[in-house]
Amino acid sequence: MATSAQGKPLPAITDLTRPFWTAAREGRLLLQRCSRCGTFNFHPKPWCIECGCRDMPWTEASGRGTVYAHTISRSVAMNHPGWQADLPVLMTLIDLDEGPRLYGQVIGCAPEALHIGLRVQACFEPISDEAGIPKFRPLAEG
Amino acid sequence: MRSQVAIVGYGRTPYSRAKPGEPVRTVDEYIAWAAELALARAGMSKNDFDGQGLGVAHAEVAHTVNWSAATAEVLGISPQVLLRADQGGASASSMLIRAAAMIHAGIVDRVLVVGADTPLNMPSVAPGLPLSPERTRGVFWDFQGPFGVMGASAQFALIYARYRHEHRVTDEQMARIAVNTRFHASLNEGAIYRTPFTVDDYLGSRMLSDPIRLLDCVPIVNGGLAYVVTSAETARSLTDRPVYLRGFGEINNYYHGSRSRPDVTYTGFVRSGPQAMAMAGVDHDAIDLFNPYDDYPFIAAMTIEDHGFCRKGEGGRFVEERNLRFDGDFPLLTDGGQLSGGQPGGAIGGFMPLVETVTQLRGEAGARQVPGARTGIACGFGGIPYGRPGRSCISLVLSTEP
Repeated sequence: MATSAQGKPLPAITDLTRPFWTAAREGRLLLQRCSRCGTFNFHPKPWCIECGCRDMPWTEASGRGTVYAHTISRSVAMNHPGWQADLPVLMTLIDLDEGPRLYGQVIGCAPEALHIGLRVQACFEPISDEAGIPKFRPLAEG
Repeated sequence: MRSQVAIVGYGRTPYSRAKPGEPVRTVDEYIAWAAELALARAGMSKNDFDGQGLGVAHAEVAHTVNWSAATAEVLGISPQVLLRADQGGASASSMLIRAAAMIHAGIVDRVLVVGADTPLNMPSVAPGLPLSPERTRGVFWDFQGPFGVMGASAQFALIYARYRHEHRVTDEQMARIAVNTRFHASLNEGAIYRTPFTVDDYLGSRMLSDPIRLLDCVPIVNGGLAYVVTSAETARSLTDRPVYLRGFGEINNYYHGSRSRPDVTYTGFVRSGPQAMAMAGVDHDAIDLFNPYDDYPFIAAMTIEDHGFCRKGEGGRFVEERNLRFDGDFPLLTDGGQLSGGQPGGAIGGFMPLVETVTQLRGEAGARQVPGARTGIACGFGGIPYGRPGRSCISLVLSTEP
């Protein structure tokens, strides 16, 4: 379990997951899209969770989504001490426009402005030389 | 398979918060201690399990690949059949179902099932993050830890937030569940926190991850539990108070709705609950006590709903309208649950609803005894899948009447 210079956890990158991490490092959101049924899978899977097809080419997603649920983490728990500097962490489950739901930190948003149904847009933060993660900002409506 | 097997013994060691000066015991020691208690109640010895069955729940502490066989070696038992469960808080109940199938098939006549964990003995990188493979390795960690997910309290806070959004559920209603566990804990010498608190105490407790508060959370402890299950025939020769496994239901990796966007306000208990009750041939009025897996109060409310005691989303109103005490009209979490009793690791807490329900049905619950308890439901709930609650959901209908 590697740790970043900021004291946050780094993922163990495998050949399966590398395209996601590399793309996020470059500011793009890549998802596996099933070549048979069209389902976007996240997090990366060895086959499509809908139809079992193993051919799922990496496909660029819009990065837009809608907050499905949200919480405000006020202390570091079951994670690395480096997150202390980011508290409170606005953590959400986001329904991406392409389909899948993922955990994502919302930034650039007052805690009281965070709500279910909020439209968000992915932005990207490098976390190592090899990897980046998507975070999300409120999307200007209209 | 209705009532083909019965539980004839159970044990729960004292729990430890591993305070300075307390003895530091290993998982092996807790397993032997819990097994000793269960065997004593059953009137059996470890040698009765040579050529029979031994079931071992996985633990958070590092253990071997051959964990169940290694446990047999430690205990000096030579079983024909080994069961090993890796279903988190559903492990205890899943091994009861597996044991029942083995006994029903005639492969063995009896199984000793054990589980213990010492999460407080493990080195941690941060509060609640023991350095175990369960917590810090694998694809689930890779797509949560680096993203800033603060473990179970954040994961369940998200579910709770959505539950409050979709349904008319209030924090005050969930407080009633938490307060009720502490009341029952005050009557149970084995519970780790026994001083009653009020709804206001709950509402005033520190917010950890909105809307999850400190008093929504289980205190982690070291400890162990065990039970003995036999064929109904053997059970009747051993005791005049066998507790029959009258019905069971199980579902793993349940999605309510689509796999991409499931409705997380439902659990797999919508499948396992009706399945268990149909097998048992009982309706809701026949249930004298209900022991869900209370990792959080709102999960207990969702579990009540998903078993059909009320309509979806009315679990809050249900706990408001019913008397949840041991002598009330809906006895809930009669031992104090994990919320007040303590959670001996995420894999072992699931023994508690089962062991408490058996204790009640045998009439051995002392100051918290449910009067005239004949039939109860115990639940197992294990694993936290990505963005959903509960990978494994198991419902057990236990009864004094076959």
